[in-house]
Amino acid sequence: MDNEQVLIQRAQKGSHEAFAALVDEHQRYVYNLALRVVKDENEALDLAQETFVRAWSALPNFRRQSQFRTWLYRIVTNLCYNRLPSLRRSLNDLGDDVMEEIPATSTIAPAQEFESNETKRHLYRAIDLLDAQYKLLITLRYQHELSYEEIASTLNLPLGTVKTGIFRAKEQLRKSLAHLEESWITV
Amino acid sequence: MDNRLKEDALIEDALKSYPLAPMPRDITLNVMARIQKNSRPAFVTWSDLVLSFVITACIAAFWFATLNLPPILLTKIRIQGILLYQDFLVNARWLTPVGMFGLAVLLAALTIPYLIQMTRGRQR
Repeated sequence: MDNEQVLIQRAQKGSHEAFAALVDEHQRYVYNLALRVVKDENEALDLAQETFVRAWSALPNFRRQSQFRTWLYRIVTNLCYNRLPSLRRSLNDLGDDVMEEIPATSTIAPAQEFESNETKRHLYRAIDLLDAQYKLLITLRYQHELSYEEIASTLNLPLGTVKTGIFRAKEQLRKSLAHLEESWITV
Repeated sequence: MDNRLKEDALIEDALKSYPLAPMPRDITLNVMARIQKNSRPAFVTWSDLVLSFVITACIAAFWFATLNLPPILLTKIRIQGILLYQDFLVNARWLTPVGMFGLAVLLAALTIPYLIQMTRGRQR
């Protein structure tokens, strides 16, 4: 049994120290997920705190069928839905019309592909400007490294909708990249 | 196609290397303070115990009454019940549809704050 499982078990029995260790370990990821959606530091901190308080109350019901962190993400996304009711609608409105299979890993060594820091910075800015529903999906996929199935289960969405959302987010980034290349050509 | 693959690789790498924002401050202490203030609800709370006791007492009282009241009194109660029901059927037939309509209006009114919240969320 790994360390986290021991901590969870102790926290379920009421150990405050064990739960504090779990908060310490997961707070940054929970905060980041909230921040990507609400775009406000204080609000994100507030949501992260609320997530852990709710997690503590619900911990006796945590059956370890899912990972602890995905369980926390489910709580924080539900809180985000309460804070931004339009987010849930936007996610549901994505549909599942993308038939193209998204490759799990890129086929080109990424480190060699960055032509300049400018491209990287430009893409980061473009990620910042994505709509909340796309940011939520790509944060779960790429920063928190959840599988499509885990994201679908966390957000209670069909698998096709998750794939569509991530595909569309990437399309928006591709457009942004094309803009950058055009600007290089015209200069 | 080659260009698209290259773009894909660039985007994938940007997504994977997109940095996590640092925590403005540690929230562990705040969380623990809040947890200690609102202790975890027990499996069975006091209100559960009181409620179950009251329900049990009501059922027991009813059972005791039906077994021990004189049969003539039970018959009288039954007759009064039938008369009350008949009276309701004759004089207050309107009460059922009006009550249902009132309930529907109440439920519709309860959704108003949520609708206002949704509209504000959309505007935001």
